[in-house]
Amino acid sequence: MGNEVGSDWVRLIVGLLIVIGFSQINALFLVWLERKVAGHIQLRPGPKEVGPFGLLQTIIDGIKLIGKELITPRAADRKLFVLAPVLIFMPVLVSFLVLPFGPNLILRDMNVGVLLIFAFSTFSVLAILAGGWAANNKYALLGAVRSVAQNVAYEIPLLLTVVTVVLMTNSLRFAEIVAAQSKVWFVFFQPVACVLYLICATAETNRAPFDIPEAESELIAGFHTEYSGMRFGLFFLAEYTNMFIVCAVATSLFFGGWHGLFGFDLGIPGVVWFLLKTYFLLFVIMWVRWTFPRVRFDQLMNFSWKVMIPLSLVNLIITAAVLKFI
Amino acid sequence: MGYFKEILEGGWSLVEGMKVTLRRLYRPVVTLQYPRQRVAMSPAYRGHTELIIFPDTGTHKCIACGQCERMCPSNVIKVQGTKLQAKGPKVGTHYVIDFTRCSLCGLCVEVCPTKALKYSKEYELVGTSRWDGVIDLMARLEAQKKQA
Amino acid sequence: MAEKFPQPVVDQIYTLNLGPQHPSTHGVLRVLLDLDGEIIIKADPVIGYGHRGHEKMGENRLYKQFMPNTSRMDYLSGLLFNHGYCLAVEKLAKIEVPERAQYIRVICSELNRISSHLLWFGTYVMDLGGFTPFLYAFDDREQILDILDRVTGSRLTYSYCRFGGVVADIDNEFVDTTRAFIKRLRSRWPDYHNLVTKNVIFIHRTRDVGVITPELAQEFGVTGPLLRAAGIPFDMRKIEPYEVYDRFDFEIPVGIKGDALDRYNVRMEEMEQSCRIIEQALDGLPKGDFINDSVPTRLKPPKGEVYFAFESARGQTGYYLVSDGTIYPYRCHIRVPSFSNLNVVTDVFRGTLVADAISILGSIDVVIPEIDR
Repeated sequence: MGNEVGSDWVRLIVGLLIVIGFSQINALFLVWLERKVAGHIQLRPGPKEVGPFGLLQTIIDGIKLIGKELITPRAADRKLFVLAPVLIFMPVLVSFLVLPFGPNLILRDMNVGVLLIFAFSTFSVLAILAGGWAANNKYALLGAVRSVAQNVAYEIPLLLTVVTVVLMTNSLRFAEIVAAQSKVWFVFFQPVACVLYLICATAETNRAPFDIPEAESELIAGFHTEYSGMRFGLFFLAEYTNMFIVCAVATSLFFGGWHGLFGFDLGIPGVVWFLLKTYFLLFVIMWVRWTFPRVRFDQLMNFSWKVMIPLSLVNLIITAAVLKFI
Repeated sequence: MGYFKEILEGGWSLVEGMKVTLRRLYRPVVTLQYPRQRVAMSPAYRGHTELIIFPDTGTHKCIACGQCERMCPSNVIKVQGTKLQAKGPKVGTHYVIDFTRCSLCGLCVEVCPTKALKYSKEYELVGTSRWDGVIDLMARLEAQKKQA
Repeated sequence: MAEKFPQPVVDQIYTLNLGPQHPSTHGVLRVLLDLDGEIIIKADPVIGYGHRGHEKMGENRLYKQFMPNTSRMDYLSGLLFNHGYCLAVEKLAKIEVPERAQYIRVICSELNRISSHLLWFGTYVMDLGGFTPFLYAFDDREQILDILDRVTGSRLTYSYCRFGGVVADIDNEFVDTTRAFIKRLRSRWPDYHNLVTKNVIFIHRTRDVGVITPELAQEFGVTGPLLRAAGIPFDMRKIEPYEVYDRFDFEIPVGIKGDALDRYNVRMEEMEQSCRIIEQALDGLPKGDFINDSVPTRLKPPKGEVYFAFESARGQTGYYLVSDGTIYPYRCHIRVPSFSNLNVVTDVFRGTLVADAISILGSIDVVIPEIDR
């Protein structure tokens, strides 16, 4: 009994260290990937001087950000201003605990894994609002207010599409959901839900074409206008880590997690399948960012309430009806 | 019915846009990786002016008439010359331009009676003080003569 | 427009300064916005941050020495402004221009118009949030700049036209490269249309945004693509043809509603029509002189005044020159289209959101240095 508990603790601590390290390296890699993808879409090479293929560029940028002065505006609300970047980064780290990286590579296989991730992702709304308000800047406030409305509006169709998958497997545990997709991925059963989920995920992480909270051409930088140095770096890294979490959840729910295509593993370990699929979805999100202009704020809300929610509701009803009569 | 048609058409237009960017993704880049690859300046490129070395005399033909100095809209040029003999022609000895104010209009090149000026192809000018923008054309000429 | 909205409570209105330093005001423009939530109640543009005294310089320079100044007022249509200035002085001093020089000036002016519209296209979509069409437009614009570089020597501020012609002649290489460029640009239209024009997000951002009715346009003295998008087919090249424009067969694109989408379509179509003009000009290029040599350097036009209006990339531009018989002009005034076009903003911004305001400002295509001169 003692041995089991001891090995459980060791497993937990080693897992936590690996997860924290992985999230940092992942964020750095994603920044590099975004700049390269953006560069090649725009007919230019992106970073290529620092390190082979520019891989060390993000580290150097991070060092530069750490070295910058942390400016706090005089009339800003000090406590909230300092708290906001921290508040936005912590929940995404917690979400790493329940992701199914591989057959035995879930740190904590909780009964309510799916629910945990979405509960913690709502924290980011709070952090954005705190950051925008505390900066005492009209542009920041506008950005924060828009972001809150956008996040709340797009959470509903997000959760509705997730509920359709949960209906199919009768469970909120990631391990069970992934195991249920060993033969056929759920994307073939629920294509509409998958597309809706990806659109809502883009809106939840404030990525273009839904990046109104940080609309560069209208509001300078939205809610993180007044942040400098590593505080801005934290906002930045939190955005990319959030993207990874959302894509990892999409992979687990719709694309089979660590399983191969139609049950064919081709000898590649499950972790590699999982990461490949997640990074492919991330690439698609980046590709979409550099192609489309921004959606206007009221059109964004209209789109959510008039298109996304009805479609996801209809999808849910059809799924429930089909499941009832099979 | 129009509701669904609008959604489908809108979605298809987005996919078309993504195809365009995807095609550009795997095409080669069009930018030039300066300083490893340099730009070839066109023959008519207007860098700052310089004195032409004429093959028959091996030196410049500036007679320090001062027409370019008077013509320049920004008062950029300063010319001085001496007479080698009492009844002979003047020869230019000092020619300095303040390139920080030059607008590259080309009026000095056009108005010169002996056609002594031409445009150089200099585009990599850098200095640590404002006075580095003041270019001494006679010194440049001497350096070019030594190189040839 | 303001009558449709309920009167806002005075405490709730706050002032936002779309300040001189902003990523989307093209140049140093300051717009004071009174906002109620996100809706604009009042808009007040403030100009003058870029005043450099060009008109005063014009009074102290010879007619020939003013040439570099003309390029720098609207730096995106430098050649068009050069061309217009030469035409104004030639009208005042009654100077003959050889036919080949006229054709060359028309070709270079139309190339400049295409490059200005390409830059507008890139920056407009960038203001709306799509970052890549900017780079694609600049890729095409580089070709034009290279072509003009080979013949004039500069890329942005050309001082290429002189009274009576141009500085240097064009050769066969110019003709071949321009034809190749036009062919390449025409192959790009499907890409631009697939990426931007048909894009549902773009259409929703620009349809029914910033409607300028024909009456409003005439009230403010608006010219250029704004007027044509409102439905009035007014183009100086057709109304009062100058140089050899009356020999070419081209159309004037006209919009229906006057919203931002119409302005966008008008400008894209104008680029295509400019390509047609260039092709016809290259086909009919005559041989001859490229400059009239008999123009003196210290030109002394006879006493009198002239107002010469031509079509630049942004609208009707005019040079008003008053000569008192000496080598310096008495008065040199330039009528710029952006000044009148910008003032429409005070009426059109009312009742729109801030995001729409950026879209409208981008579609009006102002260049602030030409307003401030």
